[in-house]
Amino acid sequence: MSKLTIGFIINGQKKIIETTPFTRLLDLIRDDLHLTGTKEGCGKGECGACTVIMNGELVASCLILALQADGAVITTIEGIGSGGHLDPIQKAFVETGAVQCGFCTPGMILAAKKLLEENPYPTEEEIKRGISGNLCRCTGYQKIFDAIKLAANRLSTRDGGRGEKDA
Amino acid sequence: MHQRTVPCQYFAPQKIEEALEILSQYGKEIKVIAGGTDLLVQYYDRLYEVCSWLDLKNIKELKDIRINKNQMEIGAMVTHAQLEKSEDIKKYFPVLSQAAADIGSPQIRNRGTIGGNIVNASPAGDLLAPLMAYDAQFRLLSIQGEKIVSAEDFFLGPKKTILEPAQLLTRIILPLPSERTYGCWIKIGKRKALIIATITLALVVKMAEDNKTVKDIRACLGSVAPTPIEIKEIREKMIGKKFNQLDFNQLGQIVEDKISPIDDIRGTREYRKDVAKEIMINALEEIDSAGRERDY
Repeated sequence: MSKLTIGFIINGQKKIIETTPFTRLLDLIRDDLHLTGTKEGCGKGECGACTVIMNGELVASCLILALQADGAVITTIEGIGSGGHLDPIQKAFVETGAVQCGFCTPGMILAAKKLLEENPYPTEEEIKRGISGNLCRCTGYQKIFDAIKLAANRLSTRDGGRGEKDA
Repeated sequence: MHQRTVPCQYFAPQKIEEALEILSQYGKEIKVIAGGTDLLVQYYDRLYEVCSWLDLKNIKELKDIRINKNQMEIGAMVTHAQLEKSEDIKKYFPVLSQAAADIGSPQIRNRGTIGGNIVNASPAGDLLAPLMAYDAQFRLLSIQGEKIVSAEDFFLGPKKTILEPAQLLTRIILPLPSERTYGCWIKIGKRKALIIATITLALVVKMAEDNKTVKDIRACLGSVAPTPIEIKEIREKMIGKKFNQLDFNQLGQIVEDKISPIDDIRGTREYRKDVAKEIMINALEEIDSAGRERDY
C-alpha cells in the first residue's frame, strides 16, 4: 500500500502528513488530526455535516480526497472562535437556541460564516440558499435563520462586518 | 486487504500535455478527478479500489471562461459556481447560468465542474440539456491530437460516452448566440437544493429580425431518456412561424409523445410525460410574455 505525503495549512497551523490514495479529507481531519468538530452524516455530500472552508470556499470534506488538499488552506469549526471566546455567529446560535442535538451546527456555522462574508445583509431567501447544503433535523431551521439574522445585524452595526471585537 | 503490485501514484500536473502523457501511459489504470462531487459518491464504499489519481486541479488553462471571436470557450475545470457567477455566461447563455445555479448546494457548486458533469454523463446531469440547446461542442484531447465533437454525438447512454481512456475533455465551445435569442430553464425535483432532477427542460429560441418569427429553436430535455435529448420535431413545427401564433398546447403534446422516460424513484414514466408537456407549455409562455414586455 502506498503512502503519500501532503502538506497544508489547517486552522492556521502548517501540517505535513502521510496519507493514502483512498483517504477522504474528512477522514484525514477526524482520524489523523483528531479535529472531530467536523462530522460525517451521509458521506455523499447531501447533508453538509462535513462542511469545511478550503481555499476560501465552502466545501463538503467527504467529497474531497485528502490528496487534493495538498497545498490548501483549510478552516474547520475548531478554527472559528478560540477557547472560551466565541465567534459572533456561534454566540448568536447559542442565544437564539439554534442548537439542539448539535450535529449539524459546525457545518451550519461555517456556511453562515461564508454567507455573511460574501453578503453581510442577506434576506431570508438568501440565508436559505446560503445554508441549503446543510440539513438540520431538530430545529426546523427557523431558529437558525434567526441566529444568522442576529449575527448579521451585530456584525454590520458593530465593526463594519469584520466581527473581531466583542463576543 | 488489497494486494497491490505497483505503487499508487497521485499526479497533479500543471500542463495539459503532462496530463495527456500520464493518461496515455496509465489508461484505465488511473482515475481522472476534477471536483470529485460525482466520483466520491460513486466510490463511496469502494474508494480503496482506486490506486492512482490524475487530479486536474493545477491546470490553469482548464479553469477559464473566455470569448474567442464568435464563440465562448469554457475550460473543463470551470465550476458550477463560476458558471453561475460569470457575467458573460449570464448575458449570452442564461439557460446554462440558471442550470448551474440550480445544481446541488453551495458546497457542490464550489467543487463540481462542467467537464465532470459532461463526462459523468448522467441522464439527469443538469448542464447537459442546456449545453445541447446552445449547440455545444466538446474538445477532446489525447497525445494523438484533438477531436471536436457535438454534444449530441458525445453521449451514448447512462454514464456512457465516446470518450476514450487516453482522452481528456478540455474545453466546451459554444457559438455566441445571435441577437434576439431567448431561453428558458425549468428543473423539476422534489426539493430545490441537492436534488437529482426528475425532469429538466432547456428551451432556446432564436427570432428573426422582426423579433416575432422563429428562426431557430432547440427544445432539449434531461432525465427522460438514456442521454439528454433534443425533440427535433419541435423545429419543424416552429421554424418560420410567428411565435405568438403557435399552438403551445400542441407543441407540449409533441414533447410528451416523443419522450420515453422510465419509472424510477424520482418519478414514474406517466408523471414525467405529463410534466414534460406542462413545462414545455410553461417555457413557451414565459418566452412569449417576455417578448410582449419587450414590445411595450
